[in-house]
Amino acid sequence: MRSHEEIKSSLGAWLDGELAAAEAAEIQLHVQGCASCLGEKARLEKLESSLKNVLETEASQIAFEPFWAGVRRRIAEEKSWRARGLDWARDFLTLPRLAWAIPVAALVIWFGVFSSWDWPFNSTNQAAVESIDGHGYNVALLREAKTKTAVIWVFDNQESEDDSATTPAAAESAF
Amino acid sequence: METSEWDLIRKCQQGEVAAYEELAAKYYRRVFMVILGMVHHRDDAMDVAQETFYRAFKNIKRFKGGSNFYTWLYRIAVNLAIDFQRRQKRGSVDLKENMDDVVVETETLGSDPYREVSDRRLGEKLIGAIAELTPDHKAVIVMRAVEGLSYKEIGRIMGCSEGTIMSRLHYARKKLQEKLGSDL
Amino acid sequence: MTPPRRLLQPNLLFSLWLALMSVPLGAAEKDEPPALQLKIGTILATNQADCLDSQLSKMKPQLEVIKYRCYRLIREESKKSSWQANTVFEIPGGRSLVVVPQELRNNRISLKVRLLEGEKPIVDTTVRFPNKGNFLLGGPAHEGGVLILSISAMTAGQ
Repeated sequence: MRSHEEIKSSLGAWLDGELAAAEAAEIQLHVQGCASCLGEKARLEKLESSLKNVLETEASQIAFEPFWAGVRRRIAEEKSWRARGLDWARDFLTLPRLAWAIPVAALVIWFGVFSSWDWPFNSTNQAAVESIDGHGYNVALLREAKTKTAVIWVFDNQESEDDSATTPAAAESAF
Repeated sequence: METSEWDLIRKCQQGEVAAYEELAAKYYRRVFMVILGMVHHRDDAMDVAQETFYRAFKNIKRFKGGSNFYTWLYRIAVNLAIDFQRRQKRGSVDLKENMDDVVVETETLGSDPYREVSDRRLGEKLIGAIAELTPDHKAVIVMRAVEGLSYKEIGRIMGCSEGTIMSRLHYARKKLQEKLGSDL
Repeated sequence: MTPPRRLLQPNLLFSLWLALMSVPLGAAEKDEPPALQLKIGTILATNQADCLDSQLSKMKPQLEVIKYRCYRLIREESKKSSWQANTVFEIPGGRSLVVVPQELRNNRISLKVRLLEGEKPIVDTTVRFPNKGNFLLGGPAHEGGVLILSISAMTAGQ
């Protein structure tokens, strides 16, 4: 059993014929005995009929011939690609969209140019070795291909006789 | 869909403007009413309605008959009206001026002057109140009032669920009643 | 005339962002560069088995060039450092690593690094790399394998 307030809020849907039969029957029974709901029903009906009357009255003033003349003219006009492009731009590039586009574009540019974050075009770990002194040891400078990481490898002057070690020489300790 | 209407549509799809004129004559006033309820200004409504029929003709080959022709037509009309409102803001005072023009004519008719004056005032207030709703709320209340479309049909036109239509209608009606108060 | 609310929101957001961003940009490299956080990871690389310490998974691509079979993180140390000041890290096997941050330019950090065994310098190098990046220094023998030092730095607040 629905409350009075629930029924009152469903009056619109009931008048529109959008409720299930059982629900509609319950509301009808309630409305018949409720002055408040009867008043609400009358107000809703008046609202709709008034709106329909206002618009129908306006529309009745519109003759078909001048209306159709306007449509015909649009059909007949061959819109140039430029005019179509302008139409698209006017429809798509509305002020709210442009207003959002500016800060978004600024953010993208800022992060792309100034950010230290790892963007796809700035994601390498590339280092520059500006100076190196091995103090008598051999030094190999390697660069890993994927991340461009610099690897500085220090090893002894002696040649290794152990072929199982791959470079850098692992079997022969550097020091 | 009526056989004759579908025949007309097929002819339109082949580019026959005369066939389209027949279709337009059938629907133009109803489309105009819905658009007028949303944009409030007669000249703007005329412009949007003509654009609606122009775009419908341009895209009529895409209409496959899956829905009613008027549902498809109204979808174009409602979308154009919503776009128009978002592009241009205009006060309801324009329609009020139009309303005065209309009322001058109707004053010569009818036998109940008090009722006529009362209806005129309500009409003006109603249009003013509707102008304050969002485009989506305007669309549902106008389509329901003018066309008596079901929630399902309105939902198809606006691309949303019946539940959404129900809640939008409930909200719009509540707002209008608040604005109009004892006038209703 | 008040601009529509829909235009106000993105423009207010933009103005706020602009105001916030202008502060660090102005402060960063012009006067005093921000403090530095150094991190040294000590990795033991061997050929005894196939293994990769789970803590080193992100470094796997970097280590592949070195071509050992097993990598274990045996120590990790972080220290705050000042520019032009010595920061010393202990390295297994009686070694030490002295790091002297040189400068921050174009968001790249320059470090002077000296690896010592006791008092004896093994290698001196100056390397410039991206902020939050790293480089590897390896070769010292340790427990049947070799040590690889991952030397990374980032400005404080990153």
